[in-house]
Amino acid sequence: MIALGLEGSANKIGIGLISHPSANEPPIVLSNLRHTYPTPPGEGFLPKDTAIHHRAWVVRLIKQAVRQAGVKIEDIDCICYTKGPGMGAPLQSVALAARTLSLLWGKPLVGVNHCVGHIEMGRAITHASNPVVLYVSGGNTQVIAYSAQRYRIFGETLDIAIGNCIDRFARTLMIPNDPFPGYNVEQLAKKGKNLVDMPYAVKGMDASFSGILAAADLLAAQIDENLPLEKRLKTEDGELVTKADLCFSLQETIYAMLVEITERAMAHVGSTQVLVVGGVGSNKRLQQMMGLMARDRRGSVFATDERFCIDNGIMIAHAGLLEFKTGVTTKLEDSTCTQRFRTDEVFVGWRD
Amino acid sequence: MAAVRTFVLPHYPEYPIQIALFKDVTNAAFLRSQLLEANSDFDYAFIDASMILTPTHLLSPVFLSLHLHLTTRLKTRTPHSEIIFRLHPNNNIGESYRKFGISDTTTTLIAVRLSLTPDVTRESVAKHLGDVVEGTSVDVGERGEMLGEWGDVGLVRKVYKLGDGGGAKGKKGAKGVAIGGGVDERREMESVILGIMAIKGL
Amino acid sequence: MATATDTPATPPPQHTIHILPAPFTHSPLTLLAQGAEALVYRTVFLTPHTPCVLKYRPPKPYRHPILDKRLTKARLLAEARVLVKCRKDGVTVPAVLGLDAENGWMVLEWVEGGSVRGVLDGWVAGGGRFEGVEAGNGVWGLMRRIGRAVGRVHDIGVCHGDLTTSNLMVRTGASAVRGESEGPQTQTQMQRPKRLTPSALREAAMTSDAPPVFELPPEEPPPPPSKAQSTSDLEGDIVLIDFGLATQTVQDEDRAVDLYVLERAFAATHPGAEALFQEVLRSYGESYKGGRSVLRKLEDVRLRGRKRSMLG
Repeated sequence: MIALGLEGSANKIGIGLISHPSANEPPIVLSNLRHTYPTPPGEGFLPKDTAIHHRAWVVRLIKQAVRQAGVKIEDIDCICYTKGPGMGAPLQSVALAARTLSLLWGKPLVGVNHCVGHIEMGRAITHASNPVVLYVSGGNTQVIAYSAQRYRIFGETLDIAIGNCIDRFARTLMIPNDPFPGYNVEQLAKKGKNLVDMPYAVKGMDASFSGILAAADLLAAQIDENLPLEKRLKTEDGELVTKADLCFSLQETIYAMLVEITERAMAHVGSTQVLVVGGVGSNKRLQQMMGLMARDRRGSVFATDERFCIDNGIMIAHAGLLEFKTGVTTKLEDSTCTQRFRTDEVFVGWRD
Repeated sequence: MAAVRTFVLPHYPEYPIQIALFKDVTNAAFLRSQLLEANSDFDYAFIDASMILTPTHLLSPVFLSLHLHLTTRLKTRTPHSEIIFRLHPNNNIGESYRKFGISDTTTTLIAVRLSLTPDVTRESVAKHLGDVVEGTSVDVGERGEMLGEWGDVGLVRKVYKLGDGGGAKGKKGAKGVAIGGGVDERREMESVILGIMAIKGL
Repeated sequence: MATATDTPATPPPQHTIHILPAPFTHSPLTLLAQGAEALVYRTVFLTPHTPCVLKYRPPKPYRHPILDKRLTKARLLAEARVLVKCRKDGVTVPAVLGLDAENGWMVLEWVEGGSVRGVLDGWVAGGGRFEGVEAGNGVWGLMRRIGRAVGRVHDIGVCHGDLTTSNLMVRTGASAVRGESEGPQTQTQMQRPKRLTPSALREAAMTSDAPPVFELPPEEPPPPPSKAQSTSDLEGDIVLIDFGLATQTVQDEDRAVDLYVLERAFAATHPGAEALFQEVLRSYGESYKGGRSVLRKLEDVRLRGRKRSMLG
């Protein structure tokens, strides 16, 4: 069976085709295309402009993806699209494209939960059978474990998402957005070595990141090169604190928080596997820290690379096809999208 | 020779603690002057026995002092002065001495000496204390049973600001009493005091 | 696979063997439990006949050492402060006997008894059924004592943060028997009627094969259990343990979440005990002045769940 997946819940539009040959064979990625809405340093992406970007790219990408996959329209079994969660306008623009294709080609629709897409893609790529999942992206921060036909949320952010925190931190420090802010923060952090105190806020299995941003504003002002030397922020040894130090400290702080809540969830459910999905999951320091934690628990970490970590159409196609095979489709009149769509609302009919 | 008992703290068996108790002491002023002069022969913690409620009340600061000494984190000059300091609920060293140390008029005192070097033995301590303390030596008992014998519950309650909590009195304390079993006010107080000493200054 | 509110099956102590800090490095200790945060051992403290619990938060290798030290210290201290506050205000929790926050350890009073979870499981194993328990059954009294115990903690301005039936203990009389303290106590202490309950016996059996820890004045042997003295497992003071996530707060919201977590834990761990749990809430509502308004708040919390709905 073959599915076409359309994803556009944030600043990336992703189109992909996947094939599920048979029950015992691994899925085959036929094509996986993506285009990111670029924004200049110091700026984020607005829903309206992002939607315009998606509308401008969606047809091109679909044509290219189908061509690259080498399939005929009649080989496609269903059209899968992101129902939510995400930003309203971009979601709508992609849902509209999905509906149009469905009518045009006469194919059933499957509305997919974005988070479940990440989880299923991660499981398929890494072969982690029943991991605790850390889902970290620009819009989401959740610790998830599967139980009784649901992906249950054990812990999550109490305010803003981790990726949002990193993006806004980068904006405050005027770190470029290209290719994406988190990448540049990660590169800068490698040059940092001084740990600056930042709010570490973990409550049980939940975490809070908004305090970090407030601190970042203050810290950014204190390292401004236009300040007289005596007013600049220094370490205990009198060294000037740099932008790189702040990136380093940010990563050390927020990733430790993530690893801590993940470990708590693992201890809680008695699992030794952890799967990291979502755009922030591509961060090497996070993966390394997670690895150290898992090693201590005699467990293992599973992570995917940028192709599948970062939002993509394939994961929507894959999760949608899993659901489609259980007989579930989304009727045209129900093919809406929603900004709020919790991971645990989805009935996971395709797992034991 | 004074009656000295040797206590061995679990986890620190290599550093025995020598403890002696005296009543009807007549030369507290002299002993105190030796401390003030930092006479190295008087390397003891001299504690006013009315401030000690139970044996554990004494052993806890002794443990802390030894532990901090061995991990080089003393806040005062010697592990013995640290015992006096650790007994007090806050960080004022002078105040600790005024409350828990001996005064010129003290008549009942407890002397503590850590055997940090091999030459400090029960015999050496017994001989020295027997020579210098003018008073009646009291055997503290195998488990230090006598150490709390002169403890003044009211005074101790006041120093640790226990108010009506942590003991037999008070509205919310009413249920708390049952923890220790029966009406053991001292035991209930002790459990709070140990906590207060453990978290102080942090 | 556990559900969201399952109490974890304590993983067997098979993980990395940690080297304990001074002065416990060379002491023979019995590992009781390993959580995500702390290792819990049984040992003795101050005197060879004072059993205690050693709680050690080992360094986290993934965390920057400076950050790790700062967090470990702050958390241990916060936990110790809450415990001391509880004891000061007469709430039944383990007393803090010793602390070295810099090095990540805390020594707590040994509480003799079993967890409410174990007691209820034992009750069910012994033929008890949660549905339709008759009025006079001791299990009702246990529920009432749980409600009161939680109410008392809330009343003094503390929220536990992780209320489960594993973190509630039923204290048996055996602690007095073991000579928890020493010296004058053993002489002046009122000799309470000793209750050696089956769970205390199980506990004793569990710990008796531990290596002899210290050779010092022998303990008086505990008196043999006597049928006449033993009472039901269900009796005994409720002692709250593990305040690692506790906060000092008087907000109804926090208190309601505390109750909600307990309710979910009850539902997940003791299926069918919903009616019994109502008794916990009823007695909680009566246990202190603010109790009823917390119960009203609990209804809100139930409706929305512990977490609010949020933007994706």
